[in-house]
Amino acid sequence: MVNAIHIHLPLWQLFLLVLAPLAVPAILVAWLRHVVRRRSAPGEDPDWSVPPLADEAGGGSWFHRWDVRSKIVTLLAYSFMIASLQRLGPALAAIGISLLALIIARAPLAKVLMRLLAIAGFVGMFLVVMPFTVPVRHADTVLIVNGLTGLGFNLRGLALAAAITAKAVAIALLMEPLLSTAPLPVTLHGLSRLGVPEMLGQMVLLSHRYLHVFRHEAQRMVAGMRVRGFRQRTDLETLRALSNFLGMLFVRSFERTERVFEAMQARGYKGRFPEPRPLRLRAADLLLAVAWLALGAALIVWDRLAV
Amino acid sequence: MHISDGVLPTAVAVGCYGLSAALAVWSARRSRSRELPKLAVMTAAFFVASLVHVPFGPTSVHLIIPGLTGALLGPSAFLSIGLGLLLQCLLFQFGGLTALGANALMMGLPALACGWFFQAFKGVPPLRQSIVGGLAGALGTVLAALVLAGLLMTGGEDFAGVAKIALLAHVPVILIEALVSGFTVGFLARVKPELLKPAYLRGA
Repeated sequence: MVNAIHIHLPLWQLFLLVLAPLAVPAILVAWLRHVVRRRSAPGEDPDWSVPPLADEAGGGSWFHRWDVRSKIVTLLAYSFMIASLQRLGPALAAIGISLLALIIARAPLAKVLMRLLAIAGFVGMFLVVMPFTVPVRHADTVLIVNGLTGLGFNLRGLALAAAITAKAVAIALLMEPLLSTAPLPVTLHGLSRLGVPEMLGQMVLLSHRYLHVFRHEAQRMVAGMRVRGFRQRTDLETLRALSNFLGMLFVRSFERTERVFEAMQARGYKGRFPEPRPLRLRAADLLLAVAWLALGAALIVWDRLAV
Repeated sequence: MHISDGVLPTAVAVGCYGLSAALAVWSARRSRSRELPKLAVMTAAFFVASLVHVPFGPTSVHLIIPGLTGALLGPSAFLSIGLGLLLQCLLFQFGGLTALGANALMMGLPALACGWFFQAFKGVPPLRQSIVGGLAGALGTVLAALVLAGLLMTGGEDFAGVAKIALLAHVPVILIEALVSGFTVGFLARVKPELLKPAYLRGA
């Protein structure tokens, strides 16, 4: 026996009560896109990628001085703790903690915004779909507009989606303090010292390096296509041209791969890169790790115990 | 479409991590170890390819190409895709730190299936290879969508609606992926057919 609370509303009140709070993030996303678009030159596709990762110089924050091994372990474990929260309150608190971490790590705002933009689509789907599709349970509050009983707006669904969004945002905000407060080789070295196979770190370094090379190559090829009069449309010819472009990209990349590998072997590559810098684990690193994990545990306790 | 943090139950996310790690190790074993640096460089190429946006009416979709990756890399494809997702984490794109394992399964399993499918049925004539490549592209997207929906369903009945919508959203992408994969394989069959052979850059 479903015993939900049904609230009947005329249409305009629904707009006011429910769509207005949803519109705020939507407008925010639209604005972010606009900002991103304005940064790329007019008439061109936006630049889909890749600033260099951490600046070698680095800042002087806690995060920059934190030993990379304990930083990785702590923040990874903490992320899983956040991901297992279930209620909105603790999840919002987690966003607050992440924001604090961002400020301490002095993460560049633009990169943080890009990360948020990247999850906006997926999370937005939950926010829009869940209130309408969550099954009605005992003591749910359902808003029904103009007597359309089939299309009830379930507030429990909205709360669930909002909690998911808050968790996703909280973890996404932690990426910058985790990944760009140390140069990439140092982070990967830390990973390999934690038991991740060394080859994996090397592969990440190589891919990261050649990602930029291939992207430039792709941009040159796109410029060539434009000069020859190619314009993107929704038709078969566009797809065919794009496929030839992809095929050419793969052919060139394979050939370059062979050359790169021969060059590496000619320089004496035997499956190792030199160690970037020796790592030192100090008491302060561990202290910070323990404190941070305690924070995460406290959030979980709040999540599960509080009424 | 990638799964974001905080969606999957923690047990599922952790389980996906374990399964992905095991599959990545298997995938690395199947590649010759001296070829792994080459695989890394090729991953960069696939990553760049996945940044290409195809216009679709008023909007645009970006390619996932699990089918193509599988067809070209065979068993190494899983490692390559895992690496690609790790890169995506590093760059300022999709975070998804806790969902990394789930995303690797979502893209990697279809890629493995498509690689097997393509090598088993590709035949010799370029036209046939192109058609089989297209089918592999479609298959890859369908499988990816199914894995995504299955993972979402682990969250309980509350997630059923979202899983359905996510499946529906993949329908137009299936057609685009099929056409692009088919044309690309056709191009490679004409221009550099050895890339489509099983012995190239993959486990013997």
